Amino acid sequence: MKYKFSVEGLDCPNCAARLGRMLSAEEGIQSASVNFLTEEIIIESDLAIDVLTPAVKKVAKAFSKSLKVEKK
Amino acid sequence: MIHRFLSFLYKKELYLRMGMAGVLLCLSFFFDERIAFFLSLAAMLLVGLPIFWQALRRLWQRELLDETFLMSIAAVGAFAIGEYTEGVAVMLFYLIGEQFEHRAVRKSKKVIRQLMSIHPDTAMVERDGEVVELPSDEVVLGDIILLRAGERAPTDCIVLSGCASLDASALTGESLPVEVKEGDSLSGGMLCLDGFLRLECTCLCAESASARILKLVSEAQNKKSKQETFITKFAHIYTPVVVACALLLATVMPLVFRQSFAQWIHTALVFLVVSCPCALLISVPLSFFGGIGGAASVGILFKGGNAFEALARAKVAVFDKTGTITTGTLQVREICPVPPASEDTLLSIAASAENLSSHPLAKAILTFAQTQNTPLFEVQQFSEKAGKGLLAQKDGKPIAVGNSYLMAELGIGVPAHLASAQVLVAEDGILLGGIFLADTARPGIGDAISQMKGLGIEKTMMLSGDRAAIVSAMAQSVGIDECVGDLLPADKYERLEMLMASKKGVIYVGDGINDAPSLARADVGIAMGGIGSDAAIEAADVVLTDDMPDKLPRAIKIARRTVKIARQNIVFALSVKFAVMILSLWGGVSGVMWLAVFADVGVSVLAILNAMRCLSAKGL
Repeated sequence: MKYKFSVEGLDCPNCAARLGRMLSAEEGIQSASVNFLTEEIIIESDLAIDVLTPAVKKVAKAFSKSLKVEKK
Repeated sequence: MIHRFLSFLYKKELYLRMGMAGVLLCLSFFFDERIAFFLSLAAMLLVGLPIFWQALRRLWQRELLDETFLMSIAAVGAFAIGEYTEGVAVMLFYLIGEQFEHRAVRKSKKVIRQLMSIHPDTAMVERDGEVVELPSDEVVLGDIILLRAGERAPTDCIVLSGCASLDASALTGESLPVEVKEGDSLSGGMLCLDGFLRLECTCLCAESASARILKLVSEAQNKKSKQETFITKFAHIYTPVVVACALLLATVMPLVFRQSFAQWIHTALVFLVVSCPCALLISVPLSFFGGIGGAASVGILFKGGNAFEALARAKVAVFDKTGTITTGTLQVREICPVPPASEDTLLSIAASAENLSSHPLAKAILTFAQTQNTPLFEVQQFSEKAGKGLLAQKDGKPIAVGNSYLMAELGIGVPAHLASAQVLVAEDGILLGGIFLADTARPGIGDAISQMKGLGIEKTMMLSGDRAAIVSAMAQSVGIDECVGDLLPADKYERLEMLMASKKGVIYVGDGINDAPSLARADVGIAMGGIGSDAAIEAADVVLTDDMPDKLPRAIKIARRTVKIARQNIVFALSVKFAVMILSLWGGVSGVMWLAVFADVGVSVLAILNAMRCLSAKGL
């Protein structure tokens, strides 16, 4: 399944790519791409949404405390 | 009061720190080295601490080549070799540049969001006899919506009463207002300029034409162009290589040339500062992002960065005929009566019989009869024969209006020169004559094609399932060089593949479902006329929201400019960076560190500003 999240507070495209890599490394997430300009994360995962959302938020928080991630 | 002052300080603390650091930096020029050191150190801590902290965090996350980390090393390194002011300058200008960068990116995001904000959030809806304001996505089929001047339609509707002029430019880019009255339909996102309309909702907000446009555009952002992919890959190599060079410079060179470490470390630090690929990573995607937004504002939807590149380099244009080159509506070309019948009787009988039919041919004949003021009469015992024509009676005499198959069935002989007429008319078993109809060329298509040729399209070709003679006449009249008729959809596809073998970049312009395979196969598929056929939109790379042919050359111009701007940014950013690296190798060039900081953040800002030019498609 593909899920979309909105992300606010990314500084640069480099950081966006890095966040994407960190998310992809997470268990249960097949792929994650972070678009710096549209402030969107697209995640492919077979996790249930109520498991995935906290997992994504946890990664984002570890990445930077100023990130705001919401399910779209 | 104090509270407000504190919160002001908190909000602006970054600017405050930058300002203070700037003052300290200036002061340090006026004092001897020892005092200058303390002043610079204070300035450095003011601006640098949060960056150092972030760099440490990144280090913890095993991100060695992070921008903040590289900048921190450069600043600390400069301090270590006694270049205090340069150390502060690196940090200070890095921060200032970042602010500009953020601002520019925010601005362009905002512009794009405005371009896309064609959906109103709420709608005035009549429910249970009362008018209530509802969120647009709660409007359901059959709801009565009230639309006043200055408001946008929330979704696709049909007009129940009232008349108004509407601005559809957000959807089609066409700035001339559209007039609607009772019974007309309109699309979500159209802006009511004057008048008052009662509308009935015919489509859920999420499925309306404009919602589909928005969806296409937002999905387009995730399809990367080749240049973007190249830049991402390049950045992966570029930064490590430049950092490795810096390490080599700092360690090996002093030993080889027996020169001071300080001088080579200085050069190495310059390398570290220019090793950040951010200018490229922001400006190239931003160019395409802006291009997508700018094109959408004039009614041309690019479905991804790759579509820009393919369209910009295309040299061959292939067109479908019906619905693309032509309007798809038939018009009477010629009426050929068989004497003693006259043109008028022929048309009168044909039109009177066709009056009851809904076939496209019937419409064309009726329209023509109306312009000729041909009298119509009533027919009896009307019946339609699918694929052949129709039968009726006039004053007890049987009449037949249809193609040659119908005449053959009735045993009526047709002379050779009438065999290809679309409509033959017989009364009481005697052929009265035939009517020839043809598709008409879309207004402006000839101009559009000659403009495309002016833009360097070397070969234009029309492929059609229609008869060869009609196809070649049409091709000639609109200025298309080559044409092939009598093609089945599968043949069209084969022809297209043959053209693509020349590797010149082939555009396929089509509209219908039968064009979908060709639209998908071509280097660039352009779906014309819109948001109607789902299969065509799905398969195409570029979608024109209406069928104005002038959008074709315009799309090419926009694509070329977007690609050009992206390329400019790549060349500009890289050449400045390489120039600074080479300058720093020279040694002894004073102020090269300042140049390096410019090469990093200054170039980013300039490249972003350049990329923002893509946002405006006006004048193209």
